[in-house]
Amino acid sequence: MPSAARPKTFAGGAGLVWRWQRILCWIFIVNLVLAHFAVRGLVDRVTPALAHSLASQRLVSGFDLNAIMELSVQPDSPLEAPGPVVFHYSVIFAIFMIFSTGGILATYVFDTKPTTTAFFEACGHHFWRFIRLLVYMALSFIPIGILVAICSPIYNSIDAKSNSPYSAAYFSGAASLIVLLLLIVLRLWFDMAQIIAVADDETRMHRALRRAASLLRHNFGSLLWLYLRISLLAWIFCGLGLYLWVYHLSPFSTTIAFLLTQLVLIFWIATRLWQRASEALWYRQYQAAGVPEPTYSPSPTPAPVPYSTAMN
Amino acid sequence: MFRGWSTVLFAGALLLFARGMVSESAPKPPNAQALTPAPSATLNAPLSTRVVAYTIDAKLNTNSHSIDATETLVYKNLTGQPQQSFPFHLYLNAFQPQSTLMTEVRMGGVRGVGSDSSWNEKNRSSITVAKLEVDGAGDLTDKMQFIQPDDHNTNDHTVFQVTLPKPVAPGASVEFHMTFHDELPEVLYRTGYKRDFYMIGQWFPKVGVWWKNAWNCHQFHADSEFFADFGTFDVNLTVPQDETLGAAGDLLSSVNNPDGTKTAKFHSEDVHDFSWTASPDYTVVEDSWTGSAGPVKIHVLMSPGNMKSAPRYVQALKGTLAWYDRNIGPYPYDRVTVIDPPHGAENAGGMEYPTLITAGTTWYMPKGVLAPEDVVNHEFGHQYWYGMVATNEFEEAWLDEGINSYVEAKSMAAIYGENTSIINFPFATASEAQLLRIEYISLPDTDPITRFSWKFISDNAYGGVTYGKTGTVLLTLEKVIGEKTMLAALHEYFLRYRFKHPTGEDFLRTIEDVSHQDLKWYFDQAVYGTNILDYDIWDAHSDRLNWWEKEASRKKTNDEIYRTYVTVHRKGDFVFPVDLLVKFEDGSTATEHWDGRDRWVRYTYDRKTKVASAQIDPGNQVLLDRNFFNNSYVVDGDNRPVHKLENMWVFASEWISQFLAWVS
Repeated sequence: MPSAARPKTFAGGAGLVWRWQRILCWIFIVNLVLAHFAVRGLVDRVTPALAHSLASQRLVSGFDLNAIMELSVQPDSPLEAPGPVVFHYSVIFAIFMIFSTGGILATYVFDTKPTTTAFFEACGHHFWRFIRLLVYMALSFIPIGILVAICSPIYNSIDAKSNSPYSAAYFSGAASLIVLLLLIVLRLWFDMAQIIAVADDETRMHRALRRAASLLRHNFGSLLWLYLRISLLAWIFCGLGLYLWVYHLSPFSTTIAFLLTQLVLIFWIATRLWQRASEALWYRQYQAAGVPEPTYSPSPTPAPVPYSTAMN
Repeated sequence: MFRGWSTVLFAGALLLFARGMVSESAPKPPNAQALTPAPSATLNAPLSTRVVAYTIDAKLNTNSHSIDATETLVYKNLTGQPQQSFPFHLYLNAFQPQSTLMTEVRMGGVRGVGSDSSWNEKNRSSITVAKLEVDGAGDLTDKMQFIQPDDHNTNDHTVFQVTLPKPVAPGASVEFHMTFHDELPEVLYRTGYKRDFYMIGQWFPKVGVWWKNAWNCHQFHADSEFFADFGTFDVNLTVPQDETLGAAGDLLSSVNNPDGTKTAKFHSEDVHDFSWTASPDYTVVEDSWTGSAGPVKIHVLMSPGNMKSAPRYVQALKGTLAWYDRNIGPYPYDRVTVIDPPHGAENAGGMEYPTLITAGTTWYMPKGVLAPEDVVNHEFGHQYWYGMVATNEFEEAWLDEGINSYVEAKSMAAIYGENTSIINFPFATASEAQLLRIEYISLPDTDPITRFSWKFISDNAYGGVTYGKTGTVLLTLEKVIGEKTMLAALHEYFLRYRFKHPTGEDFLRTIEDVSHQDLKWYFDQAVYGTNILDYDIWDAHSDRLNWWEKEASRKKTNDEIYRTYVTVHRKGDFVFPVDLLVKFEDGSTATEHWDGRDRWVRYTYDRKTKVASAQIDPGNQVLLDRNFFNNSYVVDGDNRPVHKLENMWVFASEWISQFLAWVS
């Protein structure tokens, strides 16, 4: 890839997210609305117990863990675990994201204002391809799962044999980092495959994956650094937000707490979109530079139908 | 024994992100000897009635994790009648698959061993008495007979009995000589080895107690602890020279042997047990404290990785010593040893022995989670409630664990703050007293406090009732008779019964004596019963007195009279007098005192103002009340607590969604 193009991808990706910030807004709103529905039942149950009780002030003036535990151990506890409901709504959100990724990537790849119809046409056009990619991704998790399964008894063995608790902790830390890195590389690989599918209207997902793998292998450092830089910013901002929430926010300020947490979430979503936009930009520049793909020459592909209509 | 780990860990897990890794920096002293010899450790005037005198010579074999020992027991017959049969505990035989203890564990899971856990041969242990001789009677090894006084499980070998050819006369003594061999388990139930760490408790044949005109020598149960007579212990321990020793006695001497071992002589008196520990990896921290009974040496044996917690242990111990000295009575021993078990040996932690306790921490323990302080406070408390006031832990566990839990809540609050005595972060807090209450309200009515410890419906019920409910019963009683009176009663109970074996009735009678109150109504329900205490505000509302006049047709005046109704309901069967505070919109208040005998009571007020709130037990004094949230009703609700929880749940839900989207 031409070195001159590299710096532009980082800032250019941010520019794309800013330019098409409607995408960010919609994702945030859908996420918030689904989360709201996910906890609605719990809120409805807890409101009669808390809203008219002076005992609930223990949660207002600070965060009294005893109060939460007291609620949770009551025979008819209103704090019944919302886990399954939350999970179901999270699955709905994940499906929504798979669906909308086609439209989002098309927007970033072609950097042209789509009509609503064109956006959703792109979403629908790529939806089943991305579902197929999801199946491949699930298969890719198997070796990582095996790695975790191997690490677990090693950790137990080190923990059992070593007099120092640090040995097992260091091993656990190192293993976690490696697994995280593998997951990031896996995500990056599938991100690139999705971009190839959209940019080149690649219909065969195994082919998209092979081309993405080839790209990743030959540009591993630059792509990983592109991804990690944005991730680091996301983690730092989240850490800062949590720090402010935990240590500096008045326990009475529920509104500001809500705004702060949602700000953190918006930034998190924005950085994820930033990664997508930067990757799309990187691929666009890669194609523009005319560098032949190392192993695969893309077959002649028609221009993406929905967007060509919209753009012309 | 400390049982609050799960709750503390639950709270700690919620808050884990707040702290990072800590590192050990304190160097290990070159001389790996925990205790410096105490030349002043001389035989003092007895504090207790010394029934037993044990002399034990034990050699630790670190290759086979076993102990070879000889024991001489001089038993003084103070039972007032001739004694011919003597029962002995062999606690280490409990860790065998068909023992009573393991059978009970399989039924419910106890102390880190789940009911579905598979059997691990490393956890097998045994104690074998190879030879038993009695002075004047010769070799009685073949007269030993395993007995099962509690459940007739013939596979349980935790108690044996020997019958002498002729009885021991009242006031006379009998001398037993035993040779025994211990096979130690990998740490399980307070005792055993982990790598090169050894915690040796309940490891020698221990004679039962003549109590209530019979021998009291129960089998080892999953949910029970111990009971023994006071006396003296002279114990010689032979271990490899690189081992650092800690023991429940004064170190009289330590001599290196030509074979690479060393023999340390320990002496302890006016105690009813002897335990010890050895590890080449200990870092020894020494300190001292002086109380009304003189100086006390503090020995803390820290395991690798945990040195950050050493100052926390010492500070907690000194604070607790001072609190007890001020409020309960003097600590008469000249030493206290704290053992910090290494990682993986957590089941050896949180246990009490006379003058020696085991604590517990982790290398990443955040300062805001006061688990190390709490466990030291709790286990030291047992020096009083078990160590000196030596109640029967098999039959009346509430007298040691329950009273100790109450005092733990008081002393931890005094040292670390009323609302921050167990969790203390800027963003979240929790108190020890409330934690006890939560233990209680999770299982409030399955068993009375006074049930034998192994007869509870489950391990959770044993913990919730013995620790949580008893602590809460005493915290509530404190509100009835006053905090000063309650502490005075404990002080009196300690003075009356130290170095004795009192019963529950002795304890309750002492409270009535000191408070000059007949508290039978309370004890019958709270101690002997399983009644639930729960009051709620059934209704609180105001209505215009001239309600039939339409709002629009009336002139707005300040003379409008409202009739306010407040109905208090007793939901549970526990009858307890309660106070009611009614607040009105104009700031005026009304207070009521209800004896609580009927199922409900309604109060009516005619005022020129409407009711704002009604609250039972305004000071949250009645901690036995199962649900504080229904104790009050505020007419104009406040949704902030709901919004606060909602914020957190929504945020968590959003993150789960983000994670799923990332991996899909």
